Amino acid sequence: MRKFWVIFVASISILLPFLCNSFSPEIPTDRRVLVLLDDLAIKSSHSSYFNSLKSRGFDLDFKLADDPKIALQRYGQYLYDALILFCPSVERFGGSIDVASIINFVDSGHDLIVAADVNASDLIREVATECGVDFDEDPSAMVIDHIRYAVSETEGDHTLIASDDLIKSDVILGSKKITAPVLFQGIGHSLNPVNSLVLKVLSTSPSAYSANPKSKLSTPPSLMGSEISLVSVVQARNNARILISGSLSMISNRFFRSGVQKAGSTTKHEKSGNEQFFTELSKWVFHERGHLKAVNVKHHKVGETDEPALYRINDELVYSLEIYEWSGSSWEPYVADNVQVQFYMMSPYVLKTLSNDKKGLYSTSFKVPDVYGVFQFKVEYQKLGYTSLSLAKQIPVRPYRHNEYERFIPTAYPYYGAAFSTMAGFFIFSFVHLYNK
Amino acid sequence: MAREKSSKDNAQALFHSLRSAYAATPVNLKIIDLYVGFAVFTALIQVVYMATVGSFPFNSFLSGVLSCVGTAVLAVCLRIQVNKEFKDLPPERAFADFVLCNLVLHLVIMNFLG
Repeated sequence: MRKFWVIFVASISILLPFLCNSFSPEIPTDRRVLVLLDDLAIKSSHSSYFNSLKSRGFDLDFKLADDPKIALQRYGQYLYDALILFCPSVERFGGSIDVASIINFVDSGHDLIVAADVNASDLIREVATECGVDFDEDPSAMVIDHIRYAVSETEGDHTLIASDDLIKSDVILGSKKITAPVLFQGIGHSLNPVNSLVLKVLSTSPSAYSANPKSKLSTPPSLMGSEISLVSVVQARNNARILISGSLSMISNRFFRSGVQKAGSTTKHEKSGNEQFFTELSKWVFHERGHLKAVNVKHHKVGETDEPALYRINDELVYSLEIYEWSGSSWEPYVADNVQVQFYMMSPYVLKTLSNDKKGLYSTSFKVPDVYGVFQFKVEYQKLGYTSLSLAKQIPVRPYRHNEYERFIPTAYPYYGAAFSTMAGFFIFSFVHLYNK
Repeated sequence: MAREKSSKDNAQALFHSLRSAYAATPVNLKIIDLYVGFAVFTALIQVVYMATVGSFPFNSFLSGVLSCVGTAVLAVCLRIQVNKEFKDLPPERAFADFVLCNLVLHLVIMNFLG
């Protein structure tokens, strides 16, 4: 009996670390992903994409969107690290999922991929609007481009678009350039230009517009040209990443494997850029790339090592921190020359660029300004595609103590001289006066 | 014309009489006058310096000027009391007062100088 207990306890303690393999700040890449589908045929028609995710170590859980047993969280804990919605025509989610729970899921820092398509339901449009992206209101509108469409034998209404207007960011799309155009067939959306968190990843040429391909245009289309975005990403302030695509079919095996030829050009690409585009983009969305962490914020006086509780005006101090980037499997030092630190009290008194030693340690030294009060060391770093760093550390700054001023003031030397000269004069005069006959 | 000439003459006559009267004062009083002149001159130098450079350590400026002014005042008091026509105090007592007051003055000056 005792032996049984010993074996039981030993096996539990050995297995326990392996049970904790979910998303954590030490390993930012998502692990468990819930995939909601309209019907299970999508699982096989988009199998190339799902297999690429599985081969990178993701744990995909396929469920129908109206399955009554789906849930994102149980007893206050989230069951999944990311959510993929490949269900453009779902009217109501099953189980305990609805728009509010999806938004709460994103607000707690988890990632989301939403794919809409022609005849997307109001529910999917509402999810997208909550994320900052507005789909065209006409339910049967598609993006049409009569000049930059993809040449194909079957589709003659120019709704199949070949676009190579990609965002210029190595973090989001990978360092290898996508040479072939990306095929798209679906609905377009527009972004609010004031919104600084949402980015257009795949956009159209100025000749595209969004309208119903089957009916005649009676009024000018609501979305035209450069307003239209085909695929957008949102990086929220809590660093959750959302990908919104206007076409589910651009992720399908058919589009991944098909060749593409842009109308008006003679180059025929063997394979479209869709597979590379989506693979690299999902690496970014699931935090395999472009995720930064800042640790070990330290400050001390020049020449000392421990952190004082407060500084004095006109002190020389050194500020340092370490920034690492997640490479998908380990934390690598992040190298950049535009990280700045502010010494801030209502406005930055000192703004300095930190110099790095190529191993992730950023440091700089400066003189405390001649103003006393409560300051903050602020680092605000926002670069396209990277997580935003927002660090603040408060530190008081005191004025001089009464014995820290200079002992003798040089401008007052004449006054010192005058006082001593009158003393000497009095001394000499008293002798002269006394011994004068 | 005569009046002008006479006022100029009067001024000159006044000046001459003052000079001769002053030449007749005893030597020790002249020494005290010299001492007063030195103190006032030092005070003037400090005021001119403050006017150019600014009054930054104002306490030092006040202390320096006060030492000169105080010395001048005490020296004038000594001159009055040491004069042969002054009958209220013996001159030794006057000199002792002068020394003690100067000690207090310089103590205050040193404290206020900063």
